[in-house]
Amino acid sequence: MASNSSPFGSNGIPSSPDDSSPIRTRPSTHGRRDRRRQPGTPVSTPLRNQPSSDGGDFSTPRRRGRSSSVVPPTPQMPGTPMSTDDLPPSSDGGDEDPKDVDQMFVWGTNIRVDDTKTAIVRFLKNFSDNPSQMEGKYMVPIHHILELDGGGGSGSGSLDIDAQDVFAYDQDLYNKMVRYPLEVLAIFDIVLIDMVETLNRLFEKHIPTRIFNLKSSVSMRNLNPSDIEKMISVKGMVIRCSSIIPEIKEAVFQCLICGYYSEPITVARGHIAEPNCCPRGECKAVNSMTLIHNRCRFADKQIVKLQETPDEIPEGGTPHTVSIVMHDKLVDCGKPGDRVEITGVYRAMSVRIGPTQRTVKSLFKTYIDCLHMKKTDKSRMNREDPMDCDTTDVADGEGDSAADFNEKVEKLKELAKQPDIYDRLTKSLAPNIWELDDVKRGLLCQLFGGNALKLPSGANFRGDINILLVGDPGTSKSQLLQYMHKLSPRGIYTSGRGSSAVGLTAYVAKDPETGETVLESGALVLSDKGICCIDEFDKMSDNARSMLHEVMEQQTVSIAKAGIIASLNARTSVLACANPSGSRYNPRLSVIENIHLPPTLLSRFDLIYLILDKADEQTDRRLAKHIVALHFENPESSVHDVLDLQTLVAYISYARKHIHPRLSDEAAESLTRGYVEMRRRGNFPGSSKKVITATPRQIESLLRLSEALARIRFSELVEEVDVKEAFRLLEVAMQQSATDHATGTIDMDLITTGVSASERLRRENVLTATRNLILDKMQHGGPTKHLSELLEDLKKQITIEVHLSDFRYAVQSLVTEGIAILNGDKVKRT
Amino acid sequence: MGELPYDYVDNPFEAVQVTFEKAVQDLATDGRFDPARFYRKDWGVVDLFRHFVFDNGGFSKIPILELSNLHRIKPNTLVRYRGMIQDMFGNELYIGAFKDGDTWRTNKFMERPMFEMTPSSDEKTQLWERSLVYCVPVPGQNSWTLEYSTPPYGEKRGRDDEVDTMDFDDSLFKKQRVDEVQIQNQSLDSVGDPHFQSSTDMVDGFDKNHFSCLVKVYDTPENNLNLNDVIEFIGIYTFDPEPAEDDDVDPNYPTFEFMEDVTDHISPTKVPRLHCLIHRKLSVHDFLLGRHIAAAPTPNLIRDVRESLFTYLLTVLGNDGLAAQCVLLHILSRVRSRDHSISVGRLSLNLSGFTRENGSKFGNKLSESLKNILPFSLYIPLTVEYLNTDHLQPKKNNVTGRLVSGALQLAQGTHLVIDETTLCSGTLYDIGLANVRLLKHLMECQMVAYNFEYYNLEMPGEVQFLILSEGKSNILPADLVVPFQPNAITSSTNVTPELLESWRWYLAEMKSIPHSIEPDLQKTLEDDMVAAKKVNVNLRCEDLSRLLTMAQLMSASFGETNLSLERWQMVKEIELLRKKRIGGI
Repeated sequence: MASNSSPFGSNGIPSSPDDSSPIRTRPSTHGRRDRRRQPGTPVSTPLRNQPSSDGGDFSTPRRRGRSSSVVPPTPQMPGTPMSTDDLPPSSDGGDEDPKDVDQMFVWGTNIRVDDTKTAIVRFLKNFSDNPSQMEGKYMVPIHHILELDGGGGSGSGSLDIDAQDVFAYDQDLYNKMVRYPLEVLAIFDIVLIDMVETLNRLFEKHIPTRIFNLKSSVSMRNLNPSDIEKMISVKGMVIRCSSIIPEIKEAVFQCLICGYYSEPITVARGHIAEPNCCPRGECKAVNSMTLIHNRCRFADKQIVKLQETPDEIPEGGTPHTVSIVMHDKLVDCGKPGDRVEITGVYRAMSVRIGPTQRTVKSLFKTYIDCLHMKKTDKSRMNREDPMDCDTTDVADGEGDSAADFNEKVEKLKELAKQPDIYDRLTKSLAPNIWELDDVKRGLLCQLFGGNALKLPSGANFRGDINILLVGDPGTSKSQLLQYMHKLSPRGIYTSGRGSSAVGLTAYVAKDPETGETVLESGALVLSDKGICCIDEFDKMSDNARSMLHEVMEQQTVSIAKAGIIASLNARTSVLACANPSGSRYNPRLSVIENIHLPPTLLSRFDLIYLILDKADEQTDRRLAKHIVALHFENPESSVHDVLDLQTLVAYISYARKHIHPRLSDEAAESLTRGYVEMRRRGNFPGSSKKVITATPRQIESLLRLSEALARIRFSELVEEVDVKEAFRLLEVAMQQSATDHATGTIDMDLITTGVSASERLRRENVLTATRNLILDKMQHGGPTKHLSELLEDLKKQITIEVHLSDFRYAVQSLVTEGIAILNGDKVKRT
Repeated sequence: MGELPYDYVDNPFEAVQVTFEKAVQDLATDGRFDPARFYRKDWGVVDLFRHFVFDNGGFSKIPILELSNLHRIKPNTLVRYRGMIQDMFGNELYIGAFKDGDTWRTNKFMERPMFEMTPSSDEKTQLWERSLVYCVPVPGQNSWTLEYSTPPYGEKRGRDDEVDTMDFDDSLFKKQRVDEVQIQNQSLDSVGDPHFQSSTDMVDGFDKNHFSCLVKVYDTPENNLNLNDVIEFIGIYTFDPEPAEDDDVDPNYPTFEFMEDVTDHISPTKVPRLHCLIHRKLSVHDFLLGRHIAAAPTPNLIRDVRESLFTYLLTVLGNDGLAAQCVLLHILSRVRSRDHSISVGRLSLNLSGFTRENGSKFGNKLSESLKNILPFSLYIPLTVEYLNTDHLQPKKNNVTGRLVSGALQLAQGTHLVIDETTLCSGTLYDIGLANVRLLKHLMECQMVAYNFEYYNLEMPGEVQFLILSEGKSNILPADLVVPFQPNAITSSTNVTPELLESWRWYLAEMKSIPHSIEPDLQKTLEDDMVAAKKVNVNLRCEDLSRLLTMAQLMSASFGETNLSLERWQMVKEIELLRKKRIGGI
C-alpha cells in the first residue's frame, strides 16, 4: 500500500519528498531541510503541482496558464525553492494590490498563504463542537494517526474534516476552500506537516486531508463550466470501477554503462524528465539511462463511473454519468451499485487530436478528483431513524444550516397547529386514489407509528403498526402500497409471489471466490425501522409466512443456516395486501376463509381493512362522478389543498424523530373504559353465547394508534380525542373484517380462529342433530345409507339450513367419536 | 434572393463567425470584451438562421441529411435531419471562445476549431457546454412520411404524376422511384414481405447500417429535449474523421479507459455529427403533405372523410362493422392525461377470433393498411422464441455507456400490432416473462421501465396496442375485446393517394382536438353508469372509464369537441353488440 496517500490530482500534491515510501532508498532532500531552516516562510514546495492526468500536459487552460506563466519570485524571498513549484507566491499576478509585497497570494486567487495558514491552524487546534472537551475536535484524530503510525508503520491515516465544522468556525476559510480547493488543501498539507513535526519529529508521513459534508451538493446534470476547479459534492450511484491503475510518482533511472542510480525524479505534470545522459560526472554517457521499475514509486489510481440516481432524473431524461478519479486509499472504496456521495474537485482536461499531436481539439473531458467518498446507504443505516431520507433533509439538522433547519421546523409546527391537519394529511396521502379515507387514515397512523417500549425486564412492545388490506381485485390496493413505499425511504416493496423465504428475511450466501459465508439481508431486514410493503400476501409460501410471525411480534428475524445463527433486527411495519382466494370477496365467508391465511398471522395485524367493491348506489354515484371528472377535468385542478410529497415526508420524519407522546391520565382512563365496553359487547344478556369482541392484542393496537394520532398533531400527550379516534379506526377496520355476517356483531374469533362464535354454535347444532339422527335411524352394523339420503332426513328434523359440506363435516366428527363409519359417500353405523 | 447577407446553406460558419465578431465589437468596451457574456447565450446568429429558414423560404433549400444523399452533402453545410432521440449523452465542454491574437473567435457550432488553437493561456479561452443527443430514424416510421423528405434539389417530383390508383395488396412501395426504394430499404424492408422483420433490424441494428446521427445541441434548457422525442434538427453537418486508432478499440474490452466519453466509440465516419442551430419537436402534422385540407373544415367534410375511412376499414376487415368501428376509435386514441399511474384516454383493442389462416389474411391486410395511414407503426408477431430471446426492454450498457434500445423504445404515438396467432405453447423463461410483463405494463400504464442495471427508470410511452388473437388475449388484456367476425373476403381495394392523404390528415387532426362535456350530459352519464352498475354488479371501474373514453373518441371521430348524448348512445350500442358477440361465442 502506497503510503503517500494524496487525494488529489494525479500526480498527487505533495510532490514534496517528505512522504516516504517503502521502496524509497534515500532520505528526503532539500525540501524538508529548507522548511526546517525557515519555519514560517511560506514554502510552496508542497503546493499542488500541475494536476495532470495520463493525458500529460494537457490540463485545463486555467491550470496550464498558471504553470506556464510562472511568475519569478520576488526578490524578497530569495530562498524559496522553486524546483517543483508552480504556484509561486506572487504579488503582481494576483487580484489584489500589487504593492503589498508582504502578503503573499497564491497566483490567480485571493488567497494569502499566511492568513490561510493561520486560519487553518486555528481551526484545527480550536474547533470543538463539545465545549467540555479541551482539545480541538480534530486534534484527537491527528494524535490518533500519530500514535498508530508513529512507529513508521505502513498504515496511512487521513484526516477527515467535516466541512460543516469549517463553515461553523470560519466562513471565510470555508468559502476559500470551496472556491480554490487545490490551493487551500495544499496549505492544509503544509499546516499538517508543520503540526505533525512539532508533535512528533520522527513522523515522516504526509497526512492527507479529506473534506466531506459540504453545505450544498450539486446535481450531476447541473455541473457546468463554472464549477471547474471548485470543490463540489455530488450524489450518485457507482456503476463501474476500473481496475487499479498503478501510477508512477517517482522514477529512478540507472545508467547502463556505469550502473549509477539517478536520484528519484518526481513526476511533474504527468511527465518524467528522463535524463538523457548519466548525471555522474565520471561517466556522462549519453542515452544510457534506463528506468528501473522496482525502484520507482507508484500510487494506486482508479477511475469510477458515477451515475445519477433515479430521483434526480427529470421525466424524459436519461441519467448522466461522470468519471471520478480515486487515489490511494480511496481506491476500491465503492463497489458498483453503491449509492455514494462524492466530495471532490471538478476538473476538465483538453483532448488532443492524436496521441502524438500537440494541437488540441476544442473538446474537454471532465472528471472529478475525489477527496472523500461517503456511502449514503450506510449512513442511513446508522441513523437513528431512517425515516429521514436524503431527499428531504428537512428534518435532518446535518443537511442544513441551523437557521434553515429551524425555519423549516417552524413551518412544520405551524402546519401541525392547524385544526384540520389530520384531514389534510389524510387527503394528501395518495391523492390520486379515490375514496378509502379510513384506510388512508390507518396508513397515516402506520407512517407515524407508535412508541416502541422496552421494559427493563427485557420485554419489548413494538410501536409499529401492521396493516393488512384485503379486497377485490382492481381496488387500487397495489397503488396504495406503491405510494406508501415511495413515502417511506426505508420502505421495501416486494411481492409475496416472487419472494421466497430468503428473499423476504435473510439469506446466507457463499462468496464464490473466497468461500466466505455472508449474510445477505432480505426485504424485512432491509426495511428495519421502515415499512415493508408486501403485495400478494396470500400468494406467499408458507415458509416465508412463518418467518413473519416472529417479525411481526418480536421484530427480529432469526436465521440458522450454514452454521450461522443470527438474530437480526427487523423493526418494520408490515403493510400487506391480499386478494380473496376466489376472484371476488365472498361476504358470506370469514376473512380467513376468503384469503386463506393462518389466523395466527392474521391476528398480528393491528388493522385489517376490507376494500370491497360494494354495490351501493351512493358509492356508485361517487364513482361515476369520479370517472367522469377524470375524463373531462384537468386532473391537477381536482386535487387541491394537499401537501406535496416533500412536505409530507418532512412532516412525518420530524414527528417520528422528535415527538414521543405519553398517555395522559384521561386518555388512559378512556382507553380502559373503551376496552371493557368492547369486551362487554360480546356478552348478550340472557344468552349463554359468548363472543369475544376484543383481545388484549387490541389494547396494544389501540395504544399504538392513539400514540400515532398524537404524533400527527405534534402533541407530546395522548389525549382523549386520540383514543376515541383510535377506537373508531379499529372499529371501522374490525367491522369490515371481523363482523360475523350471521349475527352482525364483531367477533374476534373470526380473526383468531377463522370461525365465528355463531358459526361454531351452528356446527355444534348440526353435529348433535346428526348424532341423534344416526343413533335413531340406523342400526348397529345395519345397511349403509347414502349421505344425501341422510341429509334429506336431517333437513326434515331441524330448522337450520344444512349444506352437504356441513353435514359431511359432522359425520366425520362422528366417525372420530366411533359412532359411524364413512366409506366414500356411504355411511354405516358401527 | 441575392440580397441575403450570408450563404447560409453552403457556408454557415461564415454567418456564425461574422456575427460573433460583430457582436464582440459591439459589446466591447475600450477594446476589452468579456466573452463570458455569451455563455449559454446566443449573439443573434440563431435568430438570423431562424429568419432565413422560416421567413425567407430557406427551409426548402436545406438538404436533408440521410444515407441516400450523404455523398452529395458537403461537410460544414447546413442540413436538416429528422429522427428520434434514442439516447442522451449529457453535456460536453468545449472551448466556446478563444482569443486568436487580439480577436475573439468562437468554436460554437463547430466540431473542430477553424483556427489553430495551441494550448495557450486560460485567460484567452472560455469553456462552454453543449449537450449531446443520439438520434436514430423513428422506429416503425412508415414510408409515406419519408416521401416528404425527397431531396429538394435535383429533379423535383410532382405529386400529381403519381399513379392515381394503387393496388393495395402490393402496397404503395412498388410504384416508387428507384432512389426512394433505397431509402426504404434501409428503413423499412417490408416490400413484399408481410412479416415485419424490420422492427428488429431497425431497433437493434442502428450501428450496422442504420443511419443515426449525433446531434450537438446548444443552449437548450434541460427539459426541452426528451428521450424518444421526434425532432427535426437544422444545423451544420460536420465531418471530422478521427485517427483510425479509435476504431481499433473494442468497446467491450475490459480495460476500457473510463475517462473516455461515449462519443469516442461512435466513429464520425459512421455516425455524422450535426451541430444544431434550430430544432423543433415534430407532430404527426409535420409529416403530412403540405396540401392540407381547408383550415376550418366543415363538419360535413369531416363526416365524409370519416365515412370513407370507415368504409375502407370495413373492406379491410371483411365487412365486420363492429370491428371497423372499434378500430377507428382505437386508432384515434391517445393518452389524454396521466394521473400518477393512471392513464386516461388510451384504448387498446383486442380483436379475437383470428385463426392462423385468416390471421395472416386479415391481420396483414389490416397492419399494411394501418401503415399507410399512421406515421409510425410496428407489427410484432408474438412467438415464444421471440419473447424468450428478444430483449424488448431498453437497457443501458454501462460498459459502453450507451442505451441499447429494445423493441419497446418507441416514439410517442406509435401503433403496435401484436399478432398473438403465431404464438404456440412453450415455456417462457425469465426473459420471456419479463418481456410479457413489460408489454403488459406498457399497454396498461403506458410506461416502459428502462433498465439502468442498478435501477429501472419508468419512461412514459404512448403506444396504441392492437392485439390479434384467437381467443381473448390473456397475456395482454386489452381495454376492448371484440370478437372478429368477417363475413366476406373482399378483394383488393382501390385507394387514391388523395384519399390516403385525407385520412392521414383526418387522423392527425381528430386525434388532437380538445373535448368537453355539458353539465347536463355529465349528469346523464353518471345516472347511466349508476344504473348499469345496478344491473351488473361486476361492472368494473375500468369498464365505465373505457365507455367514456370510447364516447369521447366517437365524438372526436366526427370532429366534435363536445360530447353529445347521441355519441354516448352510439357507444352504448357498440357495447351492446360487443357483449352479444362475446356472449354468443
